[in-house]
Amino acid sequence: MRTWRWVSVLAVLVLVLAACGQQPAATPDEGSEPPASGSESEAPEPSASEDVDGGEPTAGGTLVFAGARLAASLDPALTSDGESFRILQQVYEPLVDLAPGTTDELVGVLAESWTGEPSDTEYVFTLREGVTFHDGTPLDAEAVKFNFDRMQSFSEEFQGDAYYYGALMDGFGPENLISSVEATDALTVTITLREPSPTFLFGITLTPFSIVSPAILESTSAGDAAASTFGTDVVQGGTGPFVLDDYVPDDSATLSRNEDYWGDPALLDSLIIRPIADPAARLQALQGGSVQGYDLVNPSDYETVESEGFSLVERLSFNTLYLGLNPVARENAVEAESGVAEGYEGEDSPLQDLAVRQAIEMAIDKEALIEPFYGGRGSVADTFMPPSSGWFDAVLAGVEPAEFDADGARQLLEDAGFNAENPATIHFWYPTEVTRPYMPDPRGLHEAITQMLEDVGFVVVPNSDIWDSPGYLFDAQNGFYDLHFLGWTGDYDDPSNWYGVHFGYAQEEGSDDRAAAAQFGCDVDGLDDAISAADAELDEAARGEAWAEVAGLIHENVCFVTLAHGDTALAFTDVVQGYEPNPTGSESFQSVWLSE
Amino acid sequence: MGKFILRRLLLLIPIMLGLTVLVFLFIRLLPGDPAGAILGERATPEAVERVRTALGLDRPLIEQYWEYVSGLVRLDLGTSFITNRDVTDDFLQRFPATVELTAAAMIFALTLGIPLGMLTAKRRGSWLDSAGTVVSLIGISIPIFFLGLMLKFLFAIHWPILPDSGRIDLIEYAIPRVTNMMTVDAILAGEFGGFVDALRHLILPGIALGTIPLAIIMRITRASVIDVLNEDYVRTANAKGLASRVVDNRHVLRNALLPVVTVIGLQMGLLLGGAILTETIFGWGGVGKWIYDAVVNNDYQVIQSGVLVLAVIFVLVNLAVDVSYAFLNPRIRYS
Repeated sequence: MRTWRWVSVLAVLVLVLAACGQQPAATPDEGSEPPASGSESEAPEPSASEDVDGGEPTAGGTLVFAGARLAASLDPALTSDGESFRILQQVYEPLVDLAPGTTDELVGVLAESWTGEPSDTEYVFTLREGVTFHDGTPLDAEAVKFNFDRMQSFSEEFQGDAYYYGALMDGFGPENLISSVEATDALTVTITLREPSPTFLFGITLTPFSIVSPAILESTSAGDAAASTFGTDVVQGGTGPFVLDDYVPDDSATLSRNEDYWGDPALLDSLIIRPIADPAARLQALQGGSVQGYDLVNPSDYETVESEGFSLVERLSFNTLYLGLNPVARENAVEAESGVAEGYEGEDSPLQDLAVRQAIEMAIDKEALIEPFYGGRGSVADTFMPPSSGWFDAVLAGVEPAEFDADGARQLLEDAGFNAENPATIHFWYPTEVTRPYMPDPRGLHEAITQMLEDVGFVVVPNSDIWDSPGYLFDAQNGFYDLHFLGWTGDYDDPSNWYGVHFGYAQEEGSDDRAAAAQFGCDVDGLDDAISAADAELDEAARGEAWAEVAGLIHENVCFVTLAHGDTALAFTDVVQGYEPNPTGSESFQSVWLSE
Repeated sequence: MGKFILRRLLLLIPIMLGLTVLVFLFIRLLPGDPAGAILGERATPEAVERVRTALGLDRPLIEQYWEYVSGLVRLDLGTSFITNRDVTDDFLQRFPATVELTAAAMIFALTLGIPLGMLTAKRRGSWLDSAGTVVSLIGISIPIFFLGLMLKFLFAIHWPILPDSGRIDLIEYAIPRVTNMMTVDAILAGEFGGFVDALRHLILPGIALGTIPLAIIMRITRASVIDVLNEDYVRTANAKGLASRVVDNRHVLRNALLPVVTVIGLQMGLLLGGAILTETIFGWGGVGKWIYDAVVNNDYQVIQSGVLVLAVIFVLVNLAVDVSYAFLNPRIRYS
């Protein structure tokens, strides 16, 4: 009987604990303090976006938000992923940034104004007056110079992590794109480039180019890879609307309003960001009330989120899923260590025939992929660049999107000499153990497209490999696969970051010889010259036309088939208002407020 | 006793050496490499090669192994390939969170498992015993991932009586992390409310993680108690009219607990392994989640050091279990 008593005592204890403080955990709007002003009436329609109004913005309250991870490093220059940017861009600011909600419109942040056109090599930034870093250091031209000099002279240990600086400035050190950064006077910075770069200004909008208090950089030995504590310690080195108060890796980042912010101060008192890796667990955290918002909602949860009265804030995509076609994969694969070549058994690739590649493009009903795989929130990819890009229309002008036409595809195959007795056999690969916003379900997409290809007469040999390099990525990028999925999320809004990166690789560093990446094995007459010309074109309209020509050549020759742009979405409880999504993920919590 | 402990500690050396070889080779058999993980999908083969050289991954295995082991001897666990953070710091920062979770799971498993095992043994053959067997079988076979999500759905969402994830209500309680055990930190901060809240946050993950050990402990206790109940001395004790409570505590349980204690030691391994899943679904920033991320990112330095430290802890806990035999059963002599 004693055992029974013991068990009952334990059960009662658990119940008591459960009952203690039940209130805070149960209500989704916990912690949001009463509004400083405004009515007591219920907020209208749930909303976190600007188009549906939840009343007058009021200051106050704490928002707990879940991402998939916290920051990889607290040193903005050493980060290159969206989860790091999410936290750091609340704290640190660049000279110029994308206007909220846009991908191609620049606004001054720490720079009040600037001069410099895409064709120029000299950019003069006039800094905002009266801005101070969170540690009290005033922002001046020397501080900006200090930051650029630091990145410019990154030691090798840093260079691997400083991906964006290396990629956008063409490496580090004295030979790269930046010729000099000078503090012309207290509030004027002149950056001189070695050659004109139409993407320079867009590049420096990225979080890694944020300006940090020189005093903090010095006190944390941020220049010395072995001694730096800048990436790990909580410091007050930013100028942004939020100050980093506390950071517990894998647990939480706590930010509070910067009361001395140079612009409109943030409305939230504080913002807590928690890492929850699993999307199902993030949804449960929203339902259970321990967070009031989260990012990267699973497309299959869109309906649940909306039906339970939460608001879904859609972020237009800045990514593209494509089907890579490689006519010379079977020749390349001889060198593969992974045994890919064994599957090909010396057959010639039918992909060498343009008509076969066109048949593949025509056989795929892209529209039919959007509902099942993207929860209806993605869009068909007619070009590599997504509709959210400012270059979308310009590039689309050069491309004639292929219409889905199964009969036409069958006819093309037949005309090319393939039939039931002599079928076109293609090996089609998909990656495992990975999902991406543009590729939510690789296996499901593979099955759907295989079905479409088989419907028009192809024989498809299915294959898969794990994503990590050297695995799927390695073999795909080295051009060992006939047909494969891969995608791209843009770093910045310029065709050179899309078509250029994939089809205009410099053969050697510093060389002007360009070629499509080995991944595509695409040999198109005149493509390299067209890309060189487009990349060098500085006039915006002419640049658009030049890239349209490039896109036209690539799509005509079916070097790849662009399939879909996968939108992503955030979910919020109905009290969270004012969140402005951006396709590039450059999003501030400054304007976010709580309606009750 | 002192000699016994010393010998067991010395035995640790070959065990550790063997472990370093196993861990070192195993992770290099994992598909993928850190360079690919660092560079992601933008990696060109040349860039991968550059990073591999920078990380020293192009050097002969024996050289890499030597560097790893000589670092361990200096108690230097190295620096993460991916985050450039000190592995020792990262481990120490997260370990208290895992200890707290593991302790909660163990307390749950022991406080329910031993009494229930005892009860089902004494009512052997009754409906209660059958029900106990069924429940413990379910407990052993239920996947932690599923159980965790179900518990959250039931007790945090459907009947919102417990928090769904996290370690404390971050809005209500801004508690400075001194030990990074939230319950302890709350007490240190003088926040009784925070302490209760931290306990509430421990319930669901503690149950999710403790269910398998609970089921195992319950079954072992039952079997062991049944054996002891059939012993002559128990019959004698009952025959001479001792109160059943005294018989249970002094004669049955004490003798029956020996195998149970062994199992408890072994359960530590299961708990540390299960913590990976539990920490992932409950957003618990502990060692399990940290090593999981390291495996996903092929962060060799973190895996090889983290796994080794956990292995040392496992071995030490089991040593402590062996030592505790002497207290439970004075007849045992260490020689």
